[in-house]
Amino acid sequence: MKIFFIILAKELISFMRSVMLVVVVLYSFTVDIYIAGSGIEITPKNVGVGYVDETGGGISQKILSRLHEAEFLEPKPYLSQKALSDAIFNKEILVGIIFDSEFEKKYRQNEVANLNLLLDATAASQSLTTLSYLQNIVLDFVKMDIPIEIKSHKLFNQNADNHQFMALTELLSITTMLIVILTAIAFVKEKEDGTWDIMLLMPVNPKVIILAKSMSQVLIVMIGVILSLGFVLFGSFDTPMNGSFWLFILFTFMYAFSSAGLGLFVAAVSKDVMQVAQLSIVIMMPLIFLSGAWTPVYAMHPIFQKLSIISPLRYYIEGSESLFYRGTSFIDMMPYFAGVLMLGSILYWYGFRKIGKLF
Amino acid sequence: MKIKTIKAYMLKEFMELYRTRLIVMVYLMPTMIVILFGYGIRMDVTQARILIIDNDQSQLSRELTTAFEHTKYFNATKSFISEKEALRSIKQAKTDVILIIPSSFEKNLYKGLKSELGVFIDAAFPTRASTLESYVQGEILNVASSVSANLPTQAQGMIKLNYRTLFNQAMRDEDAIVPGLIGLVLLVAPAILAALLIVKEKEKGTIFNFYASPLSKGEFLLAKILPVFVLHSLNIFILFLIAVYLFEVPFRGSFLLYWFASELYIMISLSIGMLISVITKKQIVAVVLTVIVTILPGFLYSGMLMPISSMSGESYIEAHMFPVMYFTHILYDTFLIGQGVASAKILLYLGILVGFLVVMFTSGVLLLKKGIK
Repeated sequence: MKIFFIILAKELISFMRSVMLVVVVLYSFTVDIYIAGSGIEITPKNVGVGYVDETGGGISQKILSRLHEAEFLEPKPYLSQKALSDAIFNKEILVGIIFDSEFEKKYRQNEVANLNLLLDATAASQSLTTLSYLQNIVLDFVKMDIPIEIKSHKLFNQNADNHQFMALTELLSITTMLIVILTAIAFVKEKEDGTWDIMLLMPVNPKVIILAKSMSQVLIVMIGVILSLGFVLFGSFDTPMNGSFWLFILFTFMYAFSSAGLGLFVAAVSKDVMQVAQLSIVIMMPLIFLSGAWTPVYAMHPIFQKLSIISPLRYYIEGSESLFYRGTSFIDMMPYFAGVLMLGSILYWYGFRKIGKLF
Repeated sequence: MKIKTIKAYMLKEFMELYRTRLIVMVYLMPTMIVILFGYGIRMDVTQARILIIDNDQSQLSRELTTAFEHTKYFNATKSFISEKEALRSIKQAKTDVILIIPSSFEKNLYKGLKSELGVFIDAAFPTRASTLESYVQGEILNVASSVSANLPTQAQGMIKLNYRTLFNQAMRDEDAIVPGLIGLVLLVAPAILAALLIVKEKEKGTIFNFYASPLSKGEFLLAKILPVFVLHSLNIFILFLIAVYLFEVPFRGSFLLYWFASELYIMISLSIGMLISVITKKQIVAVVLTVIVTILPGFLYSGMLMPISSMSGESYIEAHMFPVMYFTHILYDTFLIGQGVASAKILLYLGILVGFLVVMFTSGVLLLKKGIK
């Protein structure tokens, strides 16, 4: 037990001595998450709209006035259809609306008036959503007088605040990246320096050494997570915490351990830091982006849906979202805990066997 | 220029990449990431799980249910469970949307009384929630407007939306994502490889060979970068083939522009890695730093997730500080739009990319130290 703490302390001290590393880790847990959270909107917001109006105002202006803030920027007038399409080609606007000279006349005569739209579909999802916004606006404008009221409730996040969500996703991704890279390098450094063989030859149980070394990296990341929760998620973004905070900490701890197992595996198969860097990118990028952080799992290609079953990150992300937003109780969290625990033990056991052997 | 010494250095770098089998990674990583993400990332919402609780059981309510069953956007299940149980299934992340049709919905509608449809959406994934909300509304309004044709309402003008989607008529996600992915991959892969080239020597102590060699700092950096650059150049063609043949993304612009811009971009990303390698003292710091400065901005500012024109405030400025945005603009142009160098904006962006390269490389040269200070 004493040896365990000595190794743990040694690792923590050597981490602290590298000022640059401490700064970089702190940066990624605070500023980086803040940037991701504050900057990015995936929903169409501030969609740039341009229009050509050949009708002389009236109805066209009434429709345009309904494109208001948050979703749309102030519509920009263009003189000709050519100028409008040039603006789309240069990506200055995303949507172009053309009111042709017939538009108002037909509408007033109770005929079908055509409203022409040009959409930049290089951003396919934004265009689709913008289109449906516009459709709803036009339907609403014509007022078909249907006595139906749609009462819609967005559960857990009434305003569909994207910032908190992006910050949370980023936190989960950063946690994964750092724990894998830090653990893998902690081991590979010793291999590279040739001190790993000596460690294994010492009259100390190699299990204790491995456990203490990975524990030290888990601790570093846990401190980062707590800092980031305090300063960024709760401090700047007011992320709700509908579940239990301590359950999340426990969950993160278990997840960090299972990712450390992944780091062990990476360290076991590579010879130097160069290989660790390459290998961990190859393993982590798919892990992070295909585990439901950016696209929900069920919307992915069927093969990836099957593959994501073996990703511990998938359980961690779904579980964390449930804890933060849905406020899921402990009983309903069991499958996530079980998933992380099982995959973690397998990874850990494998990495353990591979790196703990001298020959 | 000491061509001979540079050559010798380059040969050594080549050998090292070959012997450590890193050369496999140079080609495996970009290909794998583009294929995985190209198939994996879906921005549009399809097959959302909607649970319909039909308390009315009328013709209209059934019509509404069928409408939801027949679109690709939803995966509808009819159910008679209580509201409370339905909410629990959202909590367990088994349902995305609940639609509750009240009893006597049809009767009220024909009488002209207001009736309320209850929609509950899981907003733990906020962007999807807003998209789903507008889909649900659109679907209901659609059904309602076809019904209202039978209702006695006064004649009124109609507005029909005609829309034309430019550049990506079928609204394929592949078209929208794959060019952005190339921008991401060509930033991350060369940078992570270059990031360790110098710091590795520093940590091992072999950097003293350079201190004692007749090479100047610029020549040393060139000798380090060029082998990796040549190896990575092949990726430009590999990624092009994957995009055009595997994902069937159309290619409308000039290949020459695509090639030139990509080579330039690889140089930039190598210089970024190099700069990190020059300023760090430990490999671990270099790895973490490169991951942080390339993966996240590469993903956020590539235009895959959101158009740059919709960004606001800090992120709009930040997007302009990274080379990704300029390169992906050119990429999307060569793949989907095809304006080429005729557009002033593309020439400007190419110029900015050259500027990036000059700044990155010179600051690498300036910050590299030859000798112990």
